[in-house]
Amino acid sequence: MRWGMVIDLAKCTGCYACVTACQQEHFIPAGIFWNRLMILETGVYPLLTRQVYPVLCNHCKETICVKVCPAGATQQREDGIVWIDQNKCVGCRYCIVACPYQARSYHPKEKEYLGINQGRTEFGRLGKELYDHQTGVAEKCNYCMERVDHGLVNGLKPGVDRHATPACVNTCPTSARHFGDLDDLHSEVSILIRKHSGAPFHPEFGTDPSTYYIRS
Amino acid sequence: MIEQTGQTEWIEGKGILVWLAFFFIELGAGTFFISSLFENLPGMVSGWLICAVLGGGLHLLYLGHPLRSWRILVSSGWKTSWISRGLYFVGLFLVLGGIHLILTRWASLDFGLLIAADLFAFLTVMYGGLALSYVQGIPLWNCGLLPILFCVAGLWGGTGVTLLLILSIGGIAKSGVEEIAWIFLGSYILLVIIYLMAATYRGRAGKFSVREMVRGRWSSIFWLLTVGLGMVLPLGVSITSFTAGIVSVSPAFLSTIIIFELTGDLSLRYCILRSGLYNPLVSPRGLQ
Repeated sequence: MRWGMVIDLAKCTGCYACVTACQQEHFIPAGIFWNRLMILETGVYPLLTRQVYPVLCNHCKETICVKVCPAGATQQREDGIVWIDQNKCVGCRYCIVACPYQARSYHPKEKEYLGINQGRTEFGRLGKELYDHQTGVAEKCNYCMERVDHGLVNGLKPGVDRHATPACVNTCPTSARHFGDLDDLHSEVSILIRKHSGAPFHPEFGTDPSTYYIRS
Repeated sequence: MIEQTGQTEWIEGKGILVWLAFFFIELGAGTFFISSLFENLPGMVSGWLICAVLGGGLHLLYLGHPLRSWRILVSSGWKTSWISRGLYFVGLFLVLGGIHLILTRWASLDFGLLIAADLFAFLTVMYGGLALSYVQGIPLWNCGLLPILFCVAGLWGGTGVTLLLILSIGGIAKSGVEEIAWIFLGSYILLVIIYLMAATYRGRAGKFSVREMVRGRWSSIFWLLTVGLGMVLPLGVSITSFTAGIVSVSPAFLSTIIIFELTGDLSLRYCILRSGLYNPLVSPRGLQ
């Protein structure tokens, strides 16, 4: 089993719903983004083209971040999900520098969303209890592994059942994101990759990413 | 991420400490190594202190959780991580070098221990370059020449500090150390030229990185400090003294040149860290 994601660039409208859902799901501190949108404009006015590329951790099979981590804080599970044990991270930031996809962030200190000494919001206070983000450590997308694990325990199928599927996939209004098992040839993600010749970013790095991009 | 973007974690804000830590770690280990070849005890002690206090201290200050650094020693990260290996190299160098220094002070010289300490000192000089060259996403760093360049720079800096100590507190004859310094100077200049030429062939990001360094935002630092102070002046002095038949230049002048040389080395490391640009995730033509 290897969890992976397929993002349909033809369907993505750049609405930022995935970014917001991710922030909300994990109570991500201000200034840090596990999910981002890269917006590329090409051409000359008035003949402009706008392309949107949603980016997140690729959960590579051949992980550079796991290899460079000196403390064993970045780990890869058997199902391919790469995650950070914040209790082990020493904050050397080698993983952030070494990730060729720039998918990681550093959490230096707690910031306020509005920067006007408003303190923690009610949402922020709740987040501190439910999902504590330590300062001085690296952060990145974990494919909503809590949802995936909880769903599997309850007999649900990630990518099919909403309660076992990453928040960004659930929230996408155009269904541009798909989640599933890349090792299962009959899964939706595998079919989409085959049908639309899906490709990851920079396959030449030899990292074998689990996040694929297609244009349907 | 659409254009080439510079790395910031290891040079901006608190990242400045990484730049200084790499410099002092390698300078200290280089000083110990070169001083040990000439049996210069003050040089070995100074090198050990520079590496432990300045290099090690700055490394620890940079960490988000310095009190967790023991985890590096107990994890199996050394199998693949150069930071982890670096900690072992520095640690073993400091322990073996420290024991050797104590034995030298109070007992007979332990030669086997010194060879082991020198081996780890040499690996310590290499480690910064090896840690950077592992980063695939930054073509300027992902180059086999970088560890060699950093190694030569560290040993050259170490030779400079050894010479400075000889000039200030006396001891062994400085001519042998001076000769080694000139050899390192020539190798250093040659390596910088080859390294930058090689980096321009490492794709657009590599080319842009070199352009940033020699013609872009960091060009004034590169030309004034790295090339001017760090290469041209020492080279000019060595050529002038050689052609004029001067056996050895005056101590005050030599000390100034050594300080310039160390400034040049420090600024080159700054330029390399600053100009390290990531390959863009997508090209203007779309998904790569």
